[in-house]
Amino acid sequence: MPLTQCNPNLLQQSLDEQLTLQQEELLALHLTECETCRASLEQLAADQGSWKSVVKVLRDETSGEHAAARNAGSSLIPRAPLSADDDDFHDGPALKPSDFIVDFLEPSENKDSLGRLSNIEIREFIGQGAHGIVLKGFQEELNRLVAVKVMAPHLASVVAARKRFAREARATAAIVHPNVMPILHVDSSGQLPFLVMPYVDCESLQDRLDREGSLPILDILRISLQVARGLAAAHAQGLVHRDVKPANILLERGVERVMLTDFGLARAVDDATLTRSGLIAGTPHYMSPEQARGEGVDARSDLFSLGSVLYAMSTGRPPFRAETTYGILRRVTDETARPMRELNPEVPVWFDAIVMKLLTKSAAERFESAEQVAGLFEECLGHLQQPDVSPLPLIVRDLTPRKETRPLKKFLLLVAAVLAFISLSDIAVVFMHSKNPTEETELLGAESAPIEVTQPPLWNDGVDEDLKQLDTEMNTLLEQTNQ
Amino acid sequence: MLPLETRHSLIVRLKDVQNDFAWRDFVCAYEGFLIQLARRQGVPERHVPDVTQQILMAIAKSIEGWKDDGNSASFWRWLSTVSRNVAIRFMSQERKQTGGVGGSDLVSALQNVEAPPDQHSVRRYEHELIVWAAEQVRHEFIETSWRAFWATVIEERPVDEVASQLGVTAGSIYMSRSRIMAKIKKRIAEVNDQ
Repeated sequence: MPLTQCNPNLLQQSLDEQLTLQQEELLALHLTECETCRASLEQLAADQGSWKSVVKVLRDETSGEHAAARNAGSSLIPRAPLSADDDDFHDGPALKPSDFIVDFLEPSENKDSLGRLSNIEIREFIGQGAHGIVLKGFQEELNRLVAVKVMAPHLASVVAARKRFAREARATAAIVHPNVMPILHVDSSGQLPFLVMPYVDCESLQDRLDREGSLPILDILRISLQVARGLAAAHAQGLVHRDVKPANILLERGVERVMLTDFGLARAVDDATLTRSGLIAGTPHYMSPEQARGEGVDARSDLFSLGSVLYAMSTGRPPFRAETTYGILRRVTDETARPMRELNPEVPVWFDAIVMKLLTKSAAERFESAEQVAGLFEECLGHLQQPDVSPLPLIVRDLTPRKETRPLKKFLLLVAAVLAFISLSDIAVVFMHSKNPTEETELLGAESAPIEVTQPPLWNDGVDEDLKQLDTEMNTLLEQTNQ
Repeated sequence: MLPLETRHSLIVRLKDVQNDFAWRDFVCAYEGFLIQLARRQGVPERHVPDVTQQILMAIAKSIEGWKDDGNSASFWRWLSTVSRNVAIRFMSQERKQTGGVGGSDLVSALQNVEAPPDQHSVRRYEHELIVWAAEQVRHEFIETSWRAFWATVIEERPVDEVASQLGVTAGSIYMSRSRIMAKIKKRIAEVNDQ
């Protein structure tokens, strides 16, 4: 017999990804023990016939004659275990650079060139993301190297995405700031829209996180400060980035410059309905709750995403994780992130507090602006470098939970606790003996009962607050013992 | 190739606004499948957009034959049946003459309702649809979940062994593989109301 209880409701909710992390863990444990529930879950997922035909087709597809006929390994077969980051989503519809070059570029006479795109000789394929591919090119008449970002065909076929791409890319071109990757040229008239940027030798923050895991606090602050400044510049132009994530933060090699990129594509991917439908590939790990709900966003949405990026830099992973896109969106809107110090004890308490404030679900409770955040980071950086000279900013100190309780206070608290417990038990006992049951419940539930114990306040350094908290806990305890 | 905006509204304004939306949604979901189908039928890459377009045109033209039977979702069901038939006819065509027919010839050939369905093509269609749905769903899941599904369902390896290899609990494998299956089924149902 299984030790945990069967709960058929949880099974359907699990398929619909409606369970909290905790419920999910409990159900997982239960499924290990209970064969009946395993069978019900499979039945709920699909009838036996569907399971059979899917299994048969996928086997046929990836083995024997079918696979051979297609002369390429099926993209359905998983990559070899332990070969890559497990938490990553498989990239969107496969886009082979060779196909792309044949279809999109014009032939070039230059033999070092892969082809031509407008007045650019394309020399190399740099990389590809879910939204497009990046090529390295050379503009002869201007004698400069450029990076060309071309929108992925699956996005280019979404009319709204194309329109936004053009509009936003033009808006970005108006931001001139050392922490924002400039856009030199936009072309959205052709088959696939593209934009041209200066070629910079850099890697993305995502690459660095993949390689190193979490980063030292000094690096985190240096990077965040520049990202916040870049955001502040964009916000000053009335532009919301909407896709602040490690892959869009570029770290220039050799110098400590950080640049924010990809404003142009941002609007194309912000639509949560597109993300949910799977039309837009990529991870929504860094979306704000208002984005995840498909609501309108303002600059404070970028602050939430910035908070998620800081979280990822501090712990090596984004704050909200789940098995599917939908699951992540739900966690972003409904659940509180685990304190960073549980994952990395080296994170300073005050830094954890800053990140948690950025990650507040309600936009109004985050910081006021990217500019304010940049200012804070600057002061924090000063504090880290010279703790004796530069104190932490006041706002940050106010966010930080009270320091460790001093020994005397601990002792006094203990005494207070014992006293409170005795008095409350007495009151409870008296009530139980003297009152009829209805009145008893009412009185025990009343807030006034235990206040007497804490008054008058004997200490002014916050102990009375601690005592109030103690009262509340006592109340709860009392209620529980009497139930 | 038609401009994108025309492609997506590519008919016939449907009188009923609901149906007009349904058509657009359907094209959004089905176009991806048709592109893959055309590729896998051996249509050369540069003809794929055109051929996909012809198939959608044939489907759109067949919509004229629709009559509301008063049942809910009647248009949707009808649409998915027509699309299925047109796609199957396309597969038979491609089998007969590899290299691809194009232009208005293809549209009229695909609309030829008299042509008996070729059983081989019907089976291939079901196969293509499941493969397409599985590929879509794969992108929605993290790699570990897909690996667990593949190893325990397709390769039928013991759950405990796979769990320890992947560093996850057996229980989480039971959950995610059912989730994956449910999603595959849902994807298929979105375009194929059989």
